[in-house]
Amino acid sequence: MSELLSLSNIRAGYGESVVLQDLSLVVREGEMVCLIGANGAGKTTTTRVLTGLLKPWGGQVAFAGTPIDKVAAHHRVELGVSLAPEGRQVFPNLTVDENLLLGSYSRRARPQRKRTLADVYELFPILASRRMQKAGLMSGGEQQMLAIARALMARPKLLVLDEPSLGLAPKIIVDVYRAIVQTAEQGVSILFVEQNVRAALSIAHRGYVLANGRIAFAGSAAELRNSKLVQESFLAPRRTHQGSAPIKAAPIGTQREGGFA
Amino acid sequence: MRPELFLRWAGFVLAVAVLAVPFIGSPSLADLTFRTCTLAIIAISWNMMAGAGLISLGHSGFWGVGSYVAILCANHFGIPFLPSLLFGMLGGAMIGAGLALITGRLRGIYFAVATLAMSEGLRVMAVMLPDLTGGAQGAYLDSALFPGALAVNIAAGCGAVLAACFSWYVSRTRYHYAFRAMRANERASQMLGIHPMLYRVSIVIVSGAMASYAGAVSVWYGGYLDPGVAFNLHITLMAQIAPILGGIYTLAGPILGTLAAAGLGEVTRQWLGHVEGVSLLVFGMTLAICVLYLPKGIQGGIDRLFRSVVKAPLADDSTPTRTTR
Amino acid sequence: MNLLPQFLIDSILLGGLYTLMAIGFALAFGVTRIINFAHGEFIMLGAYAAFWLFTGWGLDPLVVMPAVIVLGFACGWLLFKAFIERVLAAPNINQILLTFAIGLVIQHIAVILWSGDSRSTTPEYALKALTIGDAFIPYGRLVGCGVAVLLVAMLIAWLKWTEDGRAVRAVAQNSDAATLMGINVKGIYALSFALSSALGVATGVVVSFIITVTPFMGFPMLVKAVAIVIVAGMGSIVGMVVGAFVLAFAETGFAYYVTEGSGWAEGVAFVLITAILIIRPYGLFGDAEA
Repeated sequence: MSELLSLSNIRAGYGESVVLQDLSLVVREGEMVCLIGANGAGKTTTTRVLTGLLKPWGGQVAFAGTPIDKVAAHHRVELGVSLAPEGRQVFPNLTVDENLLLGSYSRRARPQRKRTLADVYELFPILASRRMQKAGLMSGGEQQMLAIARALMARPKLLVLDEPSLGLAPKIIVDVYRAIVQTAEQGVSILFVEQNVRAALSIAHRGYVLANGRIAFAGSAAELRNSKLVQESFLAPRRTHQGSAPIKAAPIGTQREGGFA
Repeated sequence: MRPELFLRWAGFVLAVAVLAVPFIGSPSLADLTFRTCTLAIIAISWNMMAGAGLISLGHSGFWGVGSYVAILCANHFGIPFLPSLLFGMLGGAMIGAGLALITGRLRGIYFAVATLAMSEGLRVMAVMLPDLTGGAQGAYLDSALFPGALAVNIAAGCGAVLAACFSWYVSRTRYHYAFRAMRANERASQMLGIHPMLYRVSIVIVSGAMASYAGAVSVWYGGYLDPGVAFNLHITLMAQIAPILGGIYTLAGPILGTLAAAGLGEVTRQWLGHVEGVSLLVFGMTLAICVLYLPKGIQGGIDRLFRSVVKAPLADDSTPTRTTR
Repeated sequence: MNLLPQFLIDSILLGGLYTLMAIGFALAFGVTRIINFAHGEFIMLGAYAAFWLFTGWGLDPLVVMPAVIVLGFACGWLLFKAFIERVLAAPNINQILLTFAIGLVIQHIAVILWSGDSRSTTPEYALKALTIGDAFIPYGRLVGCGVAVLLVAMLIAWLKWTEDGRAVRAVAQNSDAATLMGINVKGIYALSFALSSALGVATGVVVSFIITVTPFMGFPMLVKAVAIVIVAGMGSIVGMVVGAFVLAFAETGFAYYVTEGSGWAEGVAFVLITAILIIRPYGLFGDAEA
């Protein structure tokens, strides 16, 4: 598997506040990689640097082997990177359909727009039933689906998702994650940042833990799950009585090798 | 000599000079000084509001109110010079209070537009109420009450000096920090225990009263008033150019800018005064150039020159409100 | 004599004009979030262009309109790239003052070049009128309104159904997300500003045979455009049309039904602005902004 995305020694922040000190991570073709971290750790900063919305002070971003630091943000989607941003950020006064059409604005995606649109509506039937609705009027879960669908309209090689489970009810998280897995099966590599560690580790191959502006731990999903750092910081200690465990996105699948329900 | 001390001495000398000119200067010098003093007053007034994050595009409204109140006092009630000035200030203060209360928490563009609406609305009122204001024809100040050119000039000079002292005083108190906080982020400043409404209303009242004073003195100087003169957009423009040219948010900025603008005005008048529209063209270009290339104005240039930033308390690098999406 | 039919006709015709006037302004504001205080001056330039072409070469304003619009577009684009682009990220105050200054400069260049005298174009149809029953419909206003409505409809269609139109709407709602779609936001800003100028210039051509043309005609029109946009709120084209007609009806109403109303009519815009800012600052149709 070749390296699709690599961030090397990224140093970035806002104004005088340094958020990322020295961040390095890699996503290989065909992988699902998660970046987990607490609130404010710099997860969104990472996605913004990756997509070019934020210029880093140091380090390098490379895609498919080529450095892309000089590539303007609005050109990066042409390379094959697409982001479903934090907070969904759909265009509220545009319909679902219009949002999706905008997803394929890029030259790369426009010729195949019709086909991609059909594929996306098949993947997210709930969007098909809301085609002409204004995006701003939809529920959180529907907007998240729309954000992902819109990102997919760009026919990306790498789909980046910023906190896809944020603010969603557990059942909706299941649906969203199912869609993510189905997308991966189509050959799209996935990088997603999450606060919801259980959900993230339930589908990812590998993961990174972001803390204090650096990668504190990296490894396979299993390694992460079993690590002391993750257990203590993110996975709440189990209570004595069963059935009180926090959000379980497990139904989608545990480790990749086991397949999924 | 430390820059701050130098500035204080320079200010003192300037104040003495300004107050002396009506006594010892030639009529044309006195005239120039008069106009410079009234400009200084509105420049300082505008700068104070801007320092709290309130951009006024309607300063001519305050000026006009001051003028009309003064002329009404004189013509309709026989009130003499000095008291009419106080009434003028009161008028400006009331308009300012009304403006601040009506605009509530509005900032930036919306506040600016509200000030524009205020001043233009007042102008229309002045035109449409001829019984009160003389309407579009205008009115002449009752010359029987004229206190003499010397008194009027002194009033202008004192006004300018007092305005400068007042702004210096405010910059030394905690109000200064409150206004700075408001400028940066009004909501956040509330969390610091600063009651935005209170500060907002007080700064607009003070600012309005100052600008109205200038307008009131002007009408005694000129002896004639009509809505076009009273609410002239030119006034608003100069109220902005002077602080920006001199260095916005700083203490000395409005004064430096006033001197520069007055100088520029004189030069333009000498060379090209006969061509209509040139002086405003020049001022418009000056404003554009300042915004684009000299955001810190003359004060900024001086700061760079002195290396060590002149700690005129209002000077800072904090960026004011910006449009976010 | 019943004034009502005349009142309605005058209001409607005026409303059409006001819609054109406001929509150009609103386009730039809605997309770039910058109030273009020089918009009135673009209207003025359009009117003068029509005047000089009419007086010099006998060309009908409607005939020259396409060419003048293209010129307006180009000038707007240049102005944006040269100056306005620099203050996109600057504090509000810089943006306001810059466009204010630009408007002033343009205005006074016009004063110097063309003097403050009043002008007007007088094509054939501007001098005629229809009479239907009690109502008197000046052809000039009818044609003006018709052209205005046509241009507005074209703009709305462009926004709704073309790729770039959609991109413009996207940028107006969320510029970061638009960037992620591959949209060059800076280019869209320039495009919107240029279109805004083109529409402003078109407004000027249209009013050149309806109102008097002076270098100072722009400012009152700017104030009205601002009033309409504030009444409507941002982000709603429907709201803007409503706002334009509200203003038109209010002004005409004053002129007809209030003694000395036409003088007070000028103040209606300001009253509306103040009223809306008190009652509902985000406009009747706008979405509340953070």
